Amino acid sequence: MKFRRTDIFWLTAVVLLCVGLGDGLLAAGLQEAAEGNEPFWLWKFMGRLHPLAVHFPVSLLLFAALLELFTLKNFNHKLRPGIDLLVWAGVAGAVLSASLGWILATVEDYGGSILDVHQWTGIATAIIGLLLIYFLRKTDEGRNLPAVKAFRSVLFVSAIGVSVAGHFGASLTHGEDYLTSTFPWTEEEYAPEDLKVDLVAFEGEGDLSEQKQIELVGKVRAVFAHNCYKCHSDAKIKGELRLDEKDYVFTGGESGPVIVPGESDRSELVRRIKLPKDHKESMPSKGKVLSSDEIALISLWVDRGAPWPDAASEVSEYRVAELAPRRPNVPAPREGLAQPIDIWVDEYFQENSIAWKEPVDDKTYLRRIYLDIIGLLPSPEEYAAFQKDTRPNKRAAWVETLLNRNDDYATHWMTFWNDALRNDYTGTGYITKGRFAITDWLYTSIRDNKPYDQFVKQLLNPTEESKGFIEGIRWRGDVNASQVTEMQAAQNVGQVILGLNLKCASCHDSFVSDWKLEEAYAFANIFADTTLEVSRCEKPIGKKASTKILWEELGEIDSTANRKEKLKQLADNLVQPANGRMYRTIVNRIWKQLMGRGLVEPADEMDNIPWSQDLLDWLATDFEDSGYDLKQLIYKIATSNAYQQPSVGIDDPLLLTDDDFVFKGVVRRRLTAEQFSDGVSKYIHPIFEKEALKYDPNELAVSEEASMPFARASLVANNDFLKALGRPNREVVSTNRDSQASLLQALELTNGKTLNEALQDGAQKWKEKYEDGDIIIHETYRKLLGRDPHQSEFNVAMEVLGEDPSPDAIQDLFWAVLLLPEFQLIY
Amino acid sequence: MNYNWRRRDFLKKTSAATLAAMAAGAPMSGFLGSCSSKDKIKSSADTVILLYMAGGMAHTETFDPKKYTPFRKGMESKEVLSTFPSVPTALDGIQFSEGLENIGQVMDRGTLIRSYVAADLGHILHTRHQYHWHTCYEPPQSVAVPHMGSWMAKELGPVNPVIPPFINIGQRFTVGEGEELKAFHSAGFLGSEYGPFLIPDPTSGLDSVRPPVGMSSKRFEARNQLYERLVQESAMGEFGSDYQKESLKRSMEQAYRLLNSPEAKAFDLSQEPKEKYDVYNTGKFGLGCLMAKRLTEQGARFISVTSEYEPFVGWDTHENGHTRLVDMKKLIDAPIAQLVKDLDESGRLDRTMIIVASEFSRDMLTEGRPGAKVKDQVEVPDIIDDMKNYGMHRHFTDGCSILMFGGGTKRGHVYGKTADERPCKSIEKPIKIAALHQTIYHALGIHPETNYEIEKRPFYTTPDGEGEAELDLLA
Repeated sequence: MKFRRTDIFWLTAVVLLCVGLGDGLLAAGLQEAAEGNEPFWLWKFMGRLHPLAVHFPVSLLLFAALLELFTLKNFNHKLRPGIDLLVWAGVAGAVLSASLGWILATVEDYGGSILDVHQWTGIATAIIGLLLIYFLRKTDEGRNLPAVKAFRSVLFVSAIGVSVAGHFGASLTHGEDYLTSTFPWTEEEYAPEDLKVDLVAFEGEGDLSEQKQIELVGKVRAVFAHNCYKCHSDAKIKGELRLDEKDYVFTGGESGPVIVPGESDRSELVRRIKLPKDHKESMPSKGKVLSSDEIALISLWVDRGAPWPDAASEVSEYRVAELAPRRPNVPAPREGLAQPIDIWVDEYFQENSIAWKEPVDDKTYLRRIYLDIIGLLPSPEEYAAFQKDTRPNKRAAWVETLLNRNDDYATHWMTFWNDALRNDYTGTGYITKGRFAITDWLYTSIRDNKPYDQFVKQLLNPTEESKGFIEGIRWRGDVNASQVTEMQAAQNVGQVILGLNLKCASCHDSFVSDWKLEEAYAFANIFADTTLEVSRCEKPIGKKASTKILWEELGEIDSTANRKEKLKQLADNLVQPANGRMYRTIVNRIWKQLMGRGLVEPADEMDNIPWSQDLLDWLATDFEDSGYDLKQLIYKIATSNAYQQPSVGIDDPLLLTDDDFVFKGVVRRRLTAEQFSDGVSKYIHPIFEKEALKYDPNELAVSEEASMPFARASLVANNDFLKALGRPNREVVSTNRDSQASLLQALELTNGKTLNEALQDGAQKWKEKYEDGDIIIHETYRKLLGRDPHQSEFNVAMEVLGEDPSPDAIQDLFWAVLLLPEFQLIY
Repeated sequence: MNYNWRRRDFLKKTSAATLAAMAAGAPMSGFLGSCSSKDKIKSSADTVILLYMAGGMAHTETFDPKKYTPFRKGMESKEVLSTFPSVPTALDGIQFSEGLENIGQVMDRGTLIRSYVAADLGHILHTRHQYHWHTCYEPPQSVAVPHMGSWMAKELGPVNPVIPPFINIGQRFTVGEGEELKAFHSAGFLGSEYGPFLIPDPTSGLDSVRPPVGMSSKRFEARNQLYERLVQESAMGEFGSDYQKESLKRSMEQAYRLLNSPEAKAFDLSQEPKEKYDVYNTGKFGLGCLMAKRLTEQGARFISVTSEYEPFVGWDTHENGHTRLVDMKKLIDAPIAQLVKDLDESGRLDRTMIIVASEFSRDMLTEGRPGAKVKDQVEVPDIIDDMKNYGMHRHFTDGCSILMFGGGTKRGHVYGKTADERPCKSIEKPIKIAALHQTIYHALGIHPETNYEIEKRPFYTTPDGEGEAELDLLA
């Protein structure tokens, strides 16, 4: 193929012309955009012609390519003149729409990676188009074969090019998943389950009733709250627009009103929530785009005149749980189910078409109650005794026995309460006396089964021994207003005692609940010597809040009283039976400890919907009737049929907090760091020396048990081993332990010094005691797993141990068995 | 990239890593959900090495020297700006304090920030500022805050699946303020999966990644086999899959793979040629740098090597500032320079970012910063008669130096400026922690709006997503 000079000249001229034209337009457009002025109307107009113009090159070139297929045998087919015309028109269209597109992208706010791809494929197609014309002219009516080949290749390339560019263009205007979202196998990116709105109910002729209006705007406000408040509310006011109150919504933002009642087409807000995600003006600008349901809802609301009756503002857009206790009537006992817990669960099972299963066997049950009540594994002797026990009520009897092992019970529950009350034996703040331990008080309170109302009272209106919880952690230096110790107390009492998140509201009006900044301060003022100055997002607003409990129903606090008096009033008011929320919170926590999942999840968010409101309410009021007796609560749960159902495995921990969670039985969990350690310590060799004890209850004058056989892990200071197994730094309150294994954990177990040395010493001891491989294998299985090894297991172990095993081999057997899921899980 | 593992190995490892990532992707608690980010950032770095000068490194005595005033009895405190003469560096017109000649010679390969401004946190506590430096959040916080290394581990995962993505070298936690140190050496709410792999002492680093002391590799192998066979035989099989069991098995496999992998040799400093070992061996810190080099070669994500914080030790000079700094410079000068050179020569510096930083600076007179002075912690006499008073003994937050090499940072670049007269505070382009973090995340391709919803609130890599990446630091 030869190039003639004139051809090159011609080609260059066209390219330069196009580039020049494009550049000129671009420069003009850019300049205006950069100056932030409204671009010249003509550019805008031309830009918006782009979507119109693009259809020509796409269809013309594609069609040309299609027809070209018919001419493969004979270039000078009768279609030839038509194809040539299509090519010429298509290329012209491509160049034109590329230029228009450039203008559009420049003068209007498009951006993002899709734009880039679209823009450059578009421009490339236009340039390839010019090449196409060049080769077409070179073909010399089919006589120049190389040029024919080149022409055809380029034609097909440009056909693909326009299609690709077109596709990305469409993605820009209609959204990336415009096409694919119609596939049945494409999942909705975001379809909130709680948006169960029947839009049809709001459509139709005539005015909506006020009730309907309140309902409709309520749904709209919920969408605003969950998607827009982050940037458009009291906390942050972007574009001078607030969407959290009626007046603000209709006033609009810096560019004027955002809602034109009755006309969603002319409403800025509606326009912007409909924009594709990559568009610069798309809203929400951060996070997820609204679902099509949500957009439809808001459009409908605007079209119906954006009704917002004043009464609507009194309705919360968030679910708020009842504060008062509720006493549901327990349905009549039914066959085999006498316990109210089981009757409620039976009701629930019937609703959800779940059948009761056979209760777990004795061995599984015994292991469960031992771990859940005293944190220890049963010994082989205890397993045997339980099996031999023929009393019909033996399960209940053994639960009672365990609950009466006061020190073991207290030691085990220290783990839970230390996490929740962030009580540590060492920890941040001790260096500057910024923190106080409540260990003595806590241990005795648990051991003596202090009624829960008293327990809370002493935490809130403390003595020297129990003041640590509300005193919080004081780091040296200045701290954020939302982290002064008074506010820490408000947050932590809220979270742990009341199942309430005040952390948002301690900085600004919450946008995930109705709690306001001033309410959080009013609550924090109870813990303060003086009245705190309110700060919004760290800036003092020159205001002081009153002094109040979060719920007026629970009584008043005398704001002029001193701290001691205020705390007494708080304690008295919070623990009264009228505070159903507090008792629901604690029974839900205990349920979660035993069942692996709360009736409400997360257990710190008690406004969420329980899977059985009746059961939750019954447990809470029954707890009150029992005199706030935690042991009795545990007894009732542990002896229920519900607790004795076979355990349920969860494939994804997210399912645990899912609203759709369905209760079927105890959820399988991992042993805590403390349970694991104590298992090793009790049966193989103590992991911790007695000297490691940070808290020795035996030093209490009133201790019942003479001595502990080994140092239990919940009483030693945190260390690498316990930390790796999931014991938290008690910097913040923690009501949930991570149940998932990690590499760091596995490394600690595999080559960590702590476990390795304990197993080494233990192996030595066992060798001296049992000598024989056969016995050692049996004892290992019986002690650690509560059963004899199966033949196959025995054989595998015997291969390693032999008749006369070395201590090394014994150690390795310990290790392998300890790491079995069967040892590590509560099932 | 030319890491020296073979393709087949890599494929094998990646498939394991994918599984691990799946397990890891399942958050530890339900109220944790990931964000969606709009635009992808093109990364310029895969690995970050943080060389941390714990205890407050005076900028005027190191990378931003001022007028030298030699010691003489009876001198006035206020006349002392630097206690060392200045020496030239590879950059024209840029001088370092005497004793940092080697780092000066590689300065043409990196960026020198002279205008870092630490936070105002009132009465100063080192660990509180360190917490802030490493997490970008001021303690205390109402949720457990992740270390920057944990963010990287979470967002990017390991480079080489057998090397833990967040490795912390050189800090013991048995020292004073140990609990405070623990408070930020943590993955916080991201979950322990992303926490630091701790190597308090690089000379015994190998112990962390090899079979337990006294266990031969043959026995280790056999033990693992025993475990796997017993898992197979165990009655738990009947329960089918669930995530604890699966994650347990998977993490055991990972651990076994790490302890048994050739890459674990990266932790073994004795494998290094003697000449090189000797250059690095200025002490624990130098050897930490060597380990960082070796780990980078095997594919690490984030490595922090610290000069180690211990109250009144190391850079925490409450007295004898001058004499102590002679030793501190000896500790860091050769290994840092050598690390830069080694990674540059192997081509790895292009995708590895080295950062040298400290929580704040020091000054002879000002505690805190001009205009916001805080409670003094050191007695400084007006007239110096004793050598022990000659040095920067107060904590200064208004002008600190940071070095950055590689990973997309500019070569031979100086950013910002401090005043030449007291107070030697930042006077040009002051840069704060949030911008610094965002710059590092930007280089790694981590979106500035990366956040997780924790307790119903979005929690960003920097508070409220504040701070913009300072692109002027990047090439």
